[in-house]
Amino acid sequence: MTLVKEAPAPPAGKRAAAPAAGRRGRRRENLAGYLFMSPWIAGFVLLTAGPMIASLYYAFTSYNLFTPPKWVGLDNFTTMFQDPRWQKSVEVTLKYVVVATPLKLLLALGVAMLLAQKRRGQGLYRAAFYLPSLIGASVSVGFVWRALFSDDAIVDRSQKVFGLDVGGWIGNPDYVLYALVALSIWQFGAPMVIFLAGLKQVPRELYEAAEVDGAGPLRRFWNITLPMISPVLFFNVLLESIHAFQVFGSAYVVSDTRCGPADATLVYTCYLYQKGFKEAQMGFASAMAWTLVIAVALVTAVLFWSQKKWVHYEEAAK
Amino acid sequence: MQQGGNARTGIERRTILKAAGASLAVAGLGATATACGGGSGSADGTVTIRYAWWGGEPRAIAIKKSIALFEKKYPKIKIKPEFTDYEAFWEKFQTQASGGNPPDVFQNAVAFLRKYDKRGVLMDLKTQADAGNLSLDNFRNGVLAAGQADGKQLGVPVGANTMSLVIDLKAFRKAGVQPEFGWTWDEYFEALQTIQDKLKIAGDTGYFTIMYLYDLYLRQNGKAFFTDSALGFTEDDLTRWWEDGYKRVRSGLVADPKKIEQVKPKSGLSAGLAASEFTWDNFSIRYEGEGESDYGLAPIPTTDGKDTGQYLGSLMLSAFTGTQHPKEVAQFIDFMVHDPEVGKIMGYDRGILATTEQYEAYAPSDGPDKGVKAYEEEVAAAGVLGKITPHPSGADVIEAAFLRIGGEVAQGKAKPADAARTLFSEAKAAFAG
Repeated sequence: MTLVKEAPAPPAGKRAAAPAAGRRGRRRENLAGYLFMSPWIAGFVLLTAGPMIASLYYAFTSYNLFTPPKWVGLDNFTTMFQDPRWQKSVEVTLKYVVVATPLKLLLALGVAMLLAQKRRGQGLYRAAFYLPSLIGASVSVGFVWRALFSDDAIVDRSQKVFGLDVGGWIGNPDYVLYALVALSIWQFGAPMVIFLAGLKQVPRELYEAAEVDGAGPLRRFWNITLPMISPVLFFNVLLESIHAFQVFGSAYVVSDTRCGPADATLVYTCYLYQKGFKEAQMGFASAMAWTLVIAVALVTAVLFWSQKKWVHYEEAAK
Repeated sequence: MQQGGNARTGIERRTILKAAGASLAVAGLGATATACGGGSGSADGTVTIRYAWWGGEPRAIAIKKSIALFEKKYPKIKIKPEFTDYEAFWEKFQTQASGGNPPDVFQNAVAFLRKYDKRGVLMDLKTQADAGNLSLDNFRNGVLAAGQADGKQLGVPVGANTMSLVIDLKAFRKAGVQPEFGWTWDEYFEALQTIQDKLKIAGDTGYFTIMYLYDLYLRQNGKAFFTDSALGFTEDDLTRWWEDGYKRVRSGLVADPKKIEQVKPKSGLSAGLAASEFTWDNFSIRYEGEGESDYGLAPIPTTDGKDTGQYLGSLMLSAFTGTQHPKEVAQFIDFMVHDPEVGKIMGYDRGILATTEQYEAYAPSDGPDKGVKAYEEEVAAAGVLGKITPHPSGADVIEAAFLRIGGEVAQGKAKPADAARTLFSEAKAAFAG
């Protein structure tokens, strides 16, 4: 839509001369525009908006896919909050979000700072570090991960060298979630690229001035880099935590579709999937989905509220 | 945009735009029409039937060969095959069936009969038998009953199978243990102890999470896993069963569940983690391919020295009650369960062939098939085969819950009593669903 903005305004005289024709013409153009958008609009209405509204309704019904949905009011929600497996799925998901997101962003920022310095072959390094983000979400990597962290596989053997024998992470309910966390951290490429862009925006003069004043590298990071990239950091925190709340594929594949062992990788969406598509409790599953939407919205709201305290925007400087 | 441009070219451009938009819309509609339409009948009277099953590659190859035979004999009927693995099969089936579009003929099992009868999906095949399109005669050992529930014939068995104990023959031989018909649970666990002492491997892969084995144990004690509409045992029964199981995990008699988890989809038995595993006898064929030892079938341990609690289970063919071609569907099922040539092609992949025509036509030549045949003859001769109880709706969900919650017990993540309570509460929801 930037095109519209850049187009020069029509001469005033001409517009006054034929107001009716212009309006009709614009309406026609609009019509053509909507026609072009129609595949997308149809897709949005039929595949996204429609099902969302339907699921909002199902959330208040008992619906097994075969008999018509029966209105049950808030029953699904009360059952859900008391359901030990639902509680477990919330616990697993929160643990995943709280552990994986900060670690991933730390690594992304660290590597971005290294890559921000000019050096030979930096394009190659950037591509190499970005690569896992492109392939990490695929099912085949899930299988590879399962193999890497299994009993007597490379991770297990390397651990044994240091006397840390857990007999493989995949079969152990106390460790398996961290295999998923590792998979998430490994895909730090996307936030890294965003951090890189942010780091490039920081004016060099600030560092030079600070250096003249005798600020060490830590001080420069804390007082210049961090405040200057805080909008980018905010963006990354927001995006990555929303993303982490919705984790599904890795848990599903790494646990051989059962989100186990002993529900140790029962992330929220996996339980939702089991309830909806294995047990055909669509009402319950819809209630779960909307609860997640609300929870993520709340987290987002809190983050936006908190940015007043720590995100530094540059309007004041202008 | 270019408001001040040449009016005529502007109009032309818009016309083109409109035409493009309209054709896009039409193309979209056209695609929908093709997707939705396309009835399964055609002008020359040829009808198409969709046939879906779950299973591995060998089964798919054999079934496709059988289909080719059928199409040769009935040139006016075309069969469209669809197949996938077990879990994906039922997820897909559920979605298709709820949309009124399930396959016309499909593989089925006892756990799903009442569930999909209740949902109005299954055809009572007795009606087609009465119409003369399908024969329900010549089924062996009363296996036809496996497809019956509430006075209806909801499935026609293609093979019979029974729960069995698969053992690592080399390990049992090395430890000097000989399983015998009528051996008791005590004798069985003593044997596992001997194996553990002598060979330093676990005896079993995790017997207490298998619903169908617990069913046998309950039947030995005058109960059963399911009644017609509920669970046939108490929370205390299950607590004890899982307490004993967990004790045996702790002592190493049962393999470490962490190790078992990590060799999946391979079984703990063929991975060499344990010396025996309870499963359906027709599955024993997979161990030969997966593992390095030799495997054989051994008798189910008993409580009283005689009764194993076994019965003939079955994979079967069911039909969609709303199919447009009930007669052709019945003819196809009839052919698949009675035709001797089909029996020769299928072998014991889905269990011992269910009808005498097919059973007599096929002479097993490989080790595993011979073993399965000998095993079922032995079981039948011992006179221990009981009657199958049709499962209530929701049995499939409960079976999965039993495996999962039992797994939590095995991992030490749930106390047996709490786990039993959880299973009962989940069962309640499953029966209601």
